Amino acid sequence: MKRIITVTAGLTIGALALAGCSGGGSEGDGVAEDGSLTLTLSAWSVATTPEFQLLADAFHEKNPNVTVEVKDYDPAEYNTLLTTDLAAGKGPDIITQKEVKFLTTFQEGGQLLDVSDVELPEGIGGADSYKVDGTAYATPYRQDSWVLFYNKDLFEQAGVEAPDGSWTWEDYDAAAEELTSKLDGAKGTYEHGWQSTLQGFANAQNGADVLAGEYDYMKPFYERVLKLQEDGAQESFNTVTANQLTYQGEFGKQKAAMMPMGTWFVATLISQQASGDADDFEWGIAPAPQLDESTTGTDAVPVTFGDPTGFGINANINDDKVEAAKEFLAFAASEEAATALAEIGITPALLTDPVIDAYFGSEGAPQDELSTFAVQTHETRPENPASNKTAAVQNILNDMHSAILSESASVDDAIAEAEGRVATEVG
Amino acid sequence: MSETMALVTPEPKRARLSVESGSRPRPAGSGSRAVGRTVLYVVLIVAAAAMLTPFFWMVMSSLKDANSVFSVPVRWIPEIFVWENYVEIWTRSDILTWIRNTLILSVTVTALQVLTGSFAAYGFSRITFPGRNALFLLYVATIAVPWQSYMIPQFILLSNAGVANTLWSIILLQAFGAFGVFLMKQFYETVPEDLSEAARLDGLTEYGIWWRIMLPLSVPAIASLSLLTFVNTWNDYLGPLIYLRDPSLWTMQLGLKNFVSSLYDTDYGVLFAGLVISVVPIAVIFLLGQRFFVEGIATSGMKG
Amino acid sequence: MTTTATPQRARRRRSRLRMRNTLLGWSFILPNFLGFATLTLVPVIVLFYMSLTNWNIFGSSQFVGFDNFVRLVNDGSFRTSFVNTLYYSVMHIPLTIVVSLGLALLLNNKLRGVAFFRTAAFFPYITSIVAIALVWNLLFSPDYGPINEMLRFIGISNPPGWLTSANWSMPAVVIISTWRDMGYYMVLFLAALQTVPRELHEAARMDGANVFERFWNVTLPSLRPTMFFVTVMLTINSFKIFDLILVLTNGGPGQSTMVISQFIYRKGFEENNFGYASAASVVLFLLCIIVTIVQFLWNQRKSAR
Repeated sequence: MKRIITVTAGLTIGALALAGCSGGGSEGDGVAEDGSLTLTLSAWSVATTPEFQLLADAFHEKNPNVTVEVKDYDPAEYNTLLTTDLAAGKGPDIITQKEVKFLTTFQEGGQLLDVSDVELPEGIGGADSYKVDGTAYATPYRQDSWVLFYNKDLFEQAGVEAPDGSWTWEDYDAAAEELTSKLDGAKGTYEHGWQSTLQGFANAQNGADVLAGEYDYMKPFYERVLKLQEDGAQESFNTVTANQLTYQGEFGKQKAAMMPMGTWFVATLISQQASGDADDFEWGIAPAPQLDESTTGTDAVPVTFGDPTGFGINANINDDKVEAAKEFLAFAASEEAATALAEIGITPALLTDPVIDAYFGSEGAPQDELSTFAVQTHETRPENPASNKTAAVQNILNDMHSAILSESASVDDAIAEAEGRVATEVG
Repeated sequence: MSETMALVTPEPKRARLSVESGSRPRPAGSGSRAVGRTVLYVVLIVAAAAMLTPFFWMVMSSLKDANSVFSVPVRWIPEIFVWENYVEIWTRSDILTWIRNTLILSVTVTALQVLTGSFAAYGFSRITFPGRNALFLLYVATIAVPWQSYMIPQFILLSNAGVANTLWSIILLQAFGAFGVFLMKQFYETVPEDLSEAARLDGLTEYGIWWRIMLPLSVPAIASLSLLTFVNTWNDYLGPLIYLRDPSLWTMQLGLKNFVSSLYDTDYGVLFAGLVISVVPIAVIFLLGQRFFVEGIATSGMKG
Repeated sequence: MTTTATPQRARRRRSRLRMRNTLLGWSFILPNFLGFATLTLVPVIVLFYMSLTNWNIFGSSQFVGFDNFVRLVNDGSFRTSFVNTLYYSVMHIPLTIVVSLGLALLLNNKLRGVAFFRTAAFFPYITSIVAIALVWNLLFSPDYGPINEMLRFIGISNPPGWLTSANWSMPAVVIISTWRDMGYYMVLFLAALQTVPRELHEAARMDGANVFERFWNVTLPSLRPTMFFVTVMLTINSFKIFDLILVLTNGGPGQSTMVISQFIYRKGFEENNFGYASAASVVLFLLCIIVTIVQFLWNQRKSAR
């Protein structure tokens, strides 16, 4: 028995020592004899997400002595895998921020370099999401916003007036109901099961702080959606989750005439129409329905939500590579990169006119003015504030979301419970 | 040696234990026996249908295109049969690499688990030494800790040892589990001590007893342990996900998931085609290897 | 007690025997134990240590004593997940044992095509968990799923919401989980049934015992070691259940299917509270161990009889 104890103790001490002293240095060194550098960059689904390789190649062209190596991670478990790698000291040089709510995890763990000195172009969206106490820990290159996709053909078929940029949620609801009654089988609209499809709008358009712990302002939104569900104007939440409906399928196969969704869907829809996975029909993009008249119309700036995707730099990066890494961040945010990204259908964080022209230049993209307006002009409020409480709060709100829409709890009860949980569980 | 052999050589009667429905002549005559049998078959067929329905849906869905897999209402038979899903997997993906990797892992892990597990189980069940029970309890205790809890310290350990991102990491992870030891130990307890006693009298060492007596006697246990370990390793997703990052090291589950998914999208038709392919080898192994679970004491392999 | 040898020599012989046995025992255990100790035992010990800190994965951690545990007690979500775990286990364990043992008994037979039926029973276990979740969600779909359609057909006008209803989600999960596990445990029982000596059955039949009595007095006692094994594994696996629920319902709707393992995963990997998650792991571990020890003691008592 004594032998077991001593052996175990020895191994434990060894392991703790290992655990404690790991986490230093990003993988490899990447600094070659001739001064050429290699920067590793974390990415996901590289085969179907061309943006990373595109940026890597474009940067290499401008800086021939710097190669950016793209490391592929599983998209669904990206955060877990990245965390594991960083904990073991094998993280990449450039850490792609897939979700804003994990920024503070990395930042508090001392994994991110201060990048406040990286110059960003004027008007770029999403930079504030990466600031903690005024210091920037990452820079955006991409910013998707939520807009309203609509099927022009179905609108015509039903004889309902297409959105013109002046809609409030009442107009949207009315159109959804009218479309459902006039169309044969297709629903007026489709709302995907994610909590963001409803809460994102509620938070942004009410200017609410999701961390404050009060959620009464969400009630009208939930009541609206429950009514749409009840009237059959959209597929019920339970059916969406149980039948695992895909938003690409629902809109692409014309099962719904409208759909609030993020701008990333543009590229998917275009390619699916080209490959035949989606039906061939005319579609357009309208600004998201607004809370009230004050922000409607093409003279105003509609309020919507979205989170940026950005790059951070590993705090343990080899000192010789820091400057090159910062240059990469600046490049990714620049108009040149933004234009290249727009050409492959990515919504960049910088939306100047040349970028927009490139965006709508691909075949299959809608050509009408409203679509251009919807993509270019918006006040996009962050979906997730950069705070270490965000993940916990969002989990609680997600539970609330499923409880309400599955009709397992009343709106009031669920909101009260969520508020209580935030107060007790989130420190 | 001879006494041991006499005890161990299977007597012809000591074959499988059967629930004999109707081997004894029943007063009611053969009529009720036939009815009983029919009812039994009906029950079994209904039960089998319940087991296989989800698999049937999976096969049907593997022949649909991406946007038709999930629909309202549920469609059992595809409108158009998309055989291309299977073609796509075989030609456009790296499936042969994945199968190779998965096979290497499953076979190695199973072999190691069975060998070291049954070896250790013999020590736990047949030899008394101080601290034995406590140590065994420790083994079982670690099964009680969920893997995701100690996954990170484990990863740091293996990573610092330089084996992360190699097939060795998975082999090391899975081959020394407590499950195999536990299963074999319980099985060994059903083997009567007299056999070992007789063998000891004949001059066999403990190792000899394990090799020549315990192992052959525990064919059903070894068969079930092998099968379960093989299946678990074959279907393991999280372990390979964390340790096997290089595409050349991916297993079936990993490669498949990656092949069909992008961030917001999953081509479920192709995914199911891959999953169907992945299930077939195991089903075949099970179908052919069944008799090892239900065979009595092995009649083969007895030397001497 | 008279001995031919002096007490001293007897003691020496005993201790030499003990030493020999210890070495012998360890020589058997060592190969497996080395791997086990380094790869499982050590990380687990680290985990236990971490439960007393506020570790956030990236190296730095401060010792906080039992703060995490105190916080757990006051945490409503943890209480919910604890209760859910017990609720799930209490339903799942007996159901699985009965069904898988029944299957094993039924299929331990020379029926024609029995190999096919056994394979069919095992199919759910070898199917990918992703596929299982997808299919069962469809089958249980409240408005369009075949199961509710059948229920409506036989006259139940308001069938339950199953995975989409807070009240019925856990029973639905139990059904799916049992469906999946029964092949697995059936295999174990099948193997164990081979060890029941046929002579005992013959003797019992001669004595006039019917099928049920033979089962209760011959089969069941002979299965005891395996029954112990199955019960312990099933209990621990039920307390630890994670992947299936994660892909089926992700803890929802609301928190109706959130179990301890998912709580641990969320706190650790999604909210970066790894010390706290480790504390929850320790609680889960204690739950499993206490129940296992109770089962172990009961098993010892029965075998001593």
